[in-house]
Amino acid sequence: MRYGDFTPFDIVLLLQGLGVSLALFVSTTLIGLVIGTIWAVIRFYRVPVLTQIVTFVAELLKNSPVLVQLFLVFFGLPAFFKINVTPTEAAVITLSGNSAAFIYVIAVSAIESVGKDQLEAARVFGLTRWQILRRVIAPQAAAFAIGPLTGLLVNQLQVTSLISVIGVMDLTKVGNILNLRTLKPFIVWTAVGALYYLTAKLVAYAGGRFEKRLRAHTAWRGL
Amino acid sequence: MCRLKFDLSILAKHIPFLLEGAWLTLQACTLAVIGSLVLGLAVGAMRTSASPLLNRLAAVYVDIFRNIPFIVQLFFFYFGLPEIGIYIDAFTTGVVALSVAGGAFTSDVIRSGILAIDPGIIEAAQVSGLRKSTIFRKIILPIALRASVRPLGSVFINLILTSSILSTITLNELTGSAKIVASNTFRPFEVYFVLLVAYAALTYAVSIIIGMLHRYLNRNQSEGAV
Amino acid sequence: MISVSGVRKSFGAATVLNGVDLEIRQGEVVSVLGSSGSGKSTLIRCINGLEKIDAGKITVDGFDVSKPRELSEARKRSGTVFQLFNLYPHMTAVQNIALAPVEVLKVPRRQAEDEARELLRSVGLSERAEAYPSQLSGGQRQRVGICRALAMKPSYLLLDEVTSALDPEMTSEVLSILAALAKTGTTMVFVTHEIEFARSISTRIAFLDKGQLIADLPTAEFFSDKGMALPRVAQFLSKMRKD
Repeated sequence: MRYGDFTPFDIVLLLQGLGVSLALFVSTTLIGLVIGTIWAVIRFYRVPVLTQIVTFVAELLKNSPVLVQLFLVFFGLPAFFKINVTPTEAAVITLSGNSAAFIYVIAVSAIESVGKDQLEAARVFGLTRWQILRRVIAPQAAAFAIGPLTGLLVNQLQVTSLISVIGVMDLTKVGNILNLRTLKPFIVWTAVGALYYLTAKLVAYAGGRFEKRLRAHTAWRGL
Repeated sequence: MCRLKFDLSILAKHIPFLLEGAWLTLQACTLAVIGSLVLGLAVGAMRTSASPLLNRLAAVYVDIFRNIPFIVQLFFFYFGLPEIGIYIDAFTTGVVALSVAGGAFTSDVIRSGILAIDPGIIEAAQVSGLRKSTIFRKIILPIALRASVRPLGSVFINLILTSSILSTITLNELTGSAKIVASNTFRPFEVYFVLLVAYAALTYAVSIIIGMLHRYLNRNQSEGAV
Repeated sequence: MISVSGVRKSFGAATVLNGVDLEIRQGEVVSVLGSSGSGKSTLIRCINGLEKIDAGKITVDGFDVSKPRELSEARKRSGTVFQLFNLYPHMTAVQNIALAPVEVLKVPRRQAEDEARELLRSVGLSERAEAYPSQLSGGQRQRVGICRALAMKPSYLLLDEVTSALDPEMTSEVLSILAALAKTGTTMVFVTHEIEFARSISTRIAFLDKGQLIADLPTAEFFSDKGMALPRVAQFLSKMRKD
C-alpha cells in the first residue's frame, strides 16, 4: 500500500468530520434560535434603542460574508481584547450569531403574519402583551415560520463548511486532508459533497415532516 | 485598557491595495452574474420545457448545486480540473464555480417567473403563428425577467457575499487582500471590521440599484402582469 | 373554408365534443350558441390548434391543424380574439398588434406599426396607440385584441366569448366594431352569449348541446318555427331571453 492510497480508516475520518459538522450545526442552530427569538421579542415590545441595535446588527450579519465574520471573531477578537479564542469557539460564536440574524428575520415576519384584528381582539379581552405573544401569536407564528426555517437550516448546514478555513476538523477539513494526501480530488470531493447532500436532504425531509405535524396540531387547536 | 484602541488610521496606506482586491471582486462578480444568468436562463427554460428528459436533467443539476456547500464545489473544480488536464487559473476557476452555483439559484427564480405567466398570453402568441423560439425571446423571457428582478437581486447579492470564499483558492480578491493587510499590520480586528462594513455597504448599494431597476422595468405595469 | 368533421374531444372522463361536423365558407358569419359547458369554446380552441382533438379532422383552407407542419399555415389563415384579451403586458398597443406581422409575415417593422396605428384608428383608439394594456380599460383592451387578430389579415376571425368579461357599456363598443367588420364581409366564427347580437350579424347559427351540433341553420330559420321545433333550442332561447 502506497502512502497516498485510500485506507478503510478514511471512512472513519470522513464520518468523524461529518459528526463535527453536525454537532456544530445543531448546537449553533439552537443557540441562534434562542438569540434570534429574543431579538424578535425585543422588537415586538418596541424596546427603545435596543430594537434599533438589534435591527442594525442583524442587517450587518445578514449582508456580510460569513467568512469575514469568522475572521473577525477568530483573528480580530484575540488581537483586540487580548483573549484566547479557539477555532471551535470562534466557529460557535460566528455560526450562532449568523443563524440568529436570519432566524430573527423569519421570526419578525412570522409575528407580523398574525393578523392585526386578532391582536386587537385579544387586547379587548384584556390580555397582556406577554399573554398575547405567548397564547395568540406564538402558536401561529411557529406554524408560519417552519417552512422558511427549514430552508434556512439547509443553508446553514452548508455554511458550517466555512469553519474548515480556520482549522476546525469538520467534514470539509477532512476533505482537504484526504485531498492533499491521496491527490485524488474527484473522489474525495465527490464523497464529501455526497455526504453534505444526503445530510441536507435529511434536514429538508425532517423539516417537512415536522411542518406537517405542526400544521395538523395548530389546525386541531383552532377547533 | 489602553490596548483597546480602535484605530483605523493604520489602514489608510493600505487602501489602494484593498481597492485592487475590491476591483477583482467586482470583476469576478460581474462575470459570474453574467454566467449565472446565461446558465439560469438555459436551465430555467429546460425546467419548464415539455421534454421530460431535459426537465429531469435540469432538476438534478439544481438539486445538487443547491445542496452542496460552495466551498466543496470550489475545491472540486480547483483541485479536480487539473487532474483531467484542464489547467485554468484561480480567477477563472472562481468565476466558473460561482456561475455554476449561481446558475442553480438563478434558474429557480427564472422558472417560477415563467410559471407565473398567464397561459392565455402564451396561447395568444401561439395562435398568431409565432415560432417557439420567438415566443420565448419576445414574450416569455421579457415578462419573466421583469417579474424576477427582485429575487434575482437577492441571488446576486448572495453571489457577492459568496465570492469571499474565492480567497481560499489563493485568489486575492477583497477578502484575500484584507487577509494580507491584516497579517502585515497586526490589526486584524480593525481590518475585518472595516471589511464587514464594506461588504454590507456594497450589498446595500446593490439592493438599492435593484429596487430602482425593478421600478424602472415595471413602470408601465400598474398591477403587474395582467 | 374551415372544415370540421367528426371531431371528438374529451378532458379526462368528460366528453366535451362528441362528433361535431361544421363547415364555414368565405364570407359567412357563423355564430356558435349553446349553454355554458356545451363545448363552444373548446370548438374554437380545436380550430386554432390550442387543443389536440381525439378523433376526426379539422382543416383550414385544406391545412390539417393536427399536423404540426400544416398547423402554422392554418394559423396564418385564422385570427383569434380571446375572452380575457390575453394582450402582451410588456408591449404597447401598437407593439402588441405589430409583433406577429413582423415576426411571422416578415413585414418591415415601420410598415407593420403604421398598419397597426391605422387599425387602432379604425376602432377609435388612435390616442391610445402607445399605451400599455394595464393602462387601458377592458373594452379598449378587447379592441386592441381585435386589431391584433386583424393585423395578420386572416381569412377567418375566431371570436371566443369576446364580450363575456366586459360590462354592458364596453360590450356595446366592442359589438359595434364587430358589426362593422361583418358588413365588410369578414368571415367570422363567433362563440357568444349575445343572442340578439348573433341574430343581427350572423348568416348562420350553429347550436351545440352536450358536445353535439344539434342545429346548423341560416339565422332566419333558426329563430323561426324550424329552430323552435327543436326542444333544446326552444328551451335555451326562452331561458336566455328571460335572463
